Amino acid sequence: MAMAMCGLSGWLWLAGQSDHAPGHVTDNASVPVKLPVVARPPAQQPTVGLPADAHLDKTPPRATRGLDLVKAGWTYNCMECHQLFPARWHYGGTNRPLNEHKDIVLDHGNNRFCLNCHHPTNRNVFVDYDGAEIAQADVVKLCAKCHGTIYRDWQAGVHGRQNGYWQTELGPKTKLRCIQCHDPHSPKFKEMKPLPPLRYPARAANPPPAGQVEPPAHP
Amino acid sequence: MNNDPQNVASPKTIEQVYRPITRRTFLKGAAASMVGVAGLMAALKPLLELESGSVTLDELLQRHYRELKPEDLQRILASLAARAEQEYGVRPNLRDVKPMAGVEFGYALNLSRCIGCRKCAHACLAENNQSRDDEDDIEMSYIRVLELNQGAINLETSTAYFDPETVPQPDKYYMPVQCQQCRESPCTKVCPVQATWQEADGIVVVDYNWCIGCRYCMAACPYDARRFNYKKPTLKPEQINPNQSYLSNRIRPKGVVEKCTFCLHRTREGKYPACLEVCPTGARVFGNLLDPNSEINYILNHKRVYILKEDVGTQPRFYYFFDK
Repeated sequence: MAMAMCGLSGWLWLAGQSDHAPGHVTDNASVPVKLPVVARPPAQQPTVGLPADAHLDKTPPRATRGLDLVKAGWTYNCMECHQLFPARWHYGGTNRPLNEHKDIVLDHGNNRFCLNCHHPTNRNVFVDYDGAEIAQADVVKLCAKCHGTIYRDWQAGVHGRQNGYWQTELGPKTKLRCIQCHDPHSPKFKEMKPLPPLRYPARAANPPPAGQVEPPAHP
Repeated sequence: MNNDPQNVASPKTIEQVYRPITRRTFLKGAAASMVGVAGLMAALKPLLELESGSVTLDELLQRHYRELKPEDLQRILASLAARAEQEYGVRPNLRDVKPMAGVEFGYALNLSRCIGCRKCAHACLAENNQSRDDEDDIEMSYIRVLELNQGAINLETSTAYFDPETVPQPDKYYMPVQCQQCRESPCTKVCPVQATWQEADGIVVVDYNWCIGCRYCMAACPYDARRFNYKKPTLKPEQINPNQSYLSNRIRPKGVVEKCTFCLHRTREGKYPACLEVCPTGARVFGNLLDPNSEINYILNHKRVYILKEDVGTQPRFYYFFDK
């Protein structure tokens, strides 16, 4: 057992050191041969919008990266490791005993404890107030524990983006779930580069420096 | 009889009666003839265009959209589609989408969520077949994203041409402005030829074949929501959105005014408008004002909405609100 743990820890360390580019799965020589099949590919998300709208960029603001272990070929069965590593309530920033999950820096306001959301004994699920399990698919209910008013708006269809048909008798409507847009560990939207402004006359493009008066267009 | 004053010979001389052609009278006559010929040429210009193929007989003799018989409309749609294919290389699925019964569209936008990324403005260009690559083009997205200073809704200090490295900037907030689909729309009242009107579902539309390009509506609009085609659109075949409607996003000719129609070719078929589809923060809410359970009515019932330039009395169907 101790040997197995050492081997696993070493493998975790190696996996933590490896390049985490997506698609960099098969050439990792340290991946054991008899890995379970990945239950859900990391980038798999429900499709957004209608296939006919390919000319519209409907990417949600959160780039879905997947956990580093998953990218290294692991599964979503978190308990394969976590039954060996007991739960801790809090890690200060990147201060973690292993290399794993170092990419997770919790920046969720006052919500500073892993086990506020993650179940202490079954890491495959989330935890409710009373210790009950919330399945991964029901992550919306997890967020609703604190964000009740937003959950109410989301149910009414006015928080978050919806795609497809507003008239649901005519076609399907897709509704993004919380973590498709928000990174749960850092839910505030990251700043992004704006698309270029619309083209406009040269005078508007080059306004005079501050303090100077623009010469009149028609003297 | 000889005393009848009508028969008394005129005291005018024979030169006065039969005026010889002096230089002055010749020039007068020549100028008048020139004006007449020029007027005739101008009046016949559509016939010349007809001959050159830039205008079809159907378009030349077309009646106003609302007076068109269905078979005439179908013929005109086929003719427009054929010409679009000839000029742009893609045959559009051009049709005339009618308003849905019991539907009046409304739009709401959450100013707390908008981050000013302009994805809506650029999706508008792609959806509505507007030219966007040529350097000579003035890009005419129907959506203008304004950057405002936090603390007040002051449009006078706002700018539509902001281009920082990242948005949102810490001391700014952003307000996309597009056609507000007013209930009391000034633009439709000033049109001298009634080329623009409100449809049954509240969308203000333009018949691009009827518009004479006088731009009175642009002057009347308090929201700067209308755009004028100064030149023929330049579009590559792959840039063309073939899902087109007569009153909304078909490729417009030069010299007409166009505007946001809430993407009626999409929304009248039950889909969301393109600007809502791309919004990364979900700031936009769209729906049927007449349906009490719609998303837009949830906003109107639960949030405190702000109407842009409410004091001008246009009664928009577009609502802004602040809500986390």
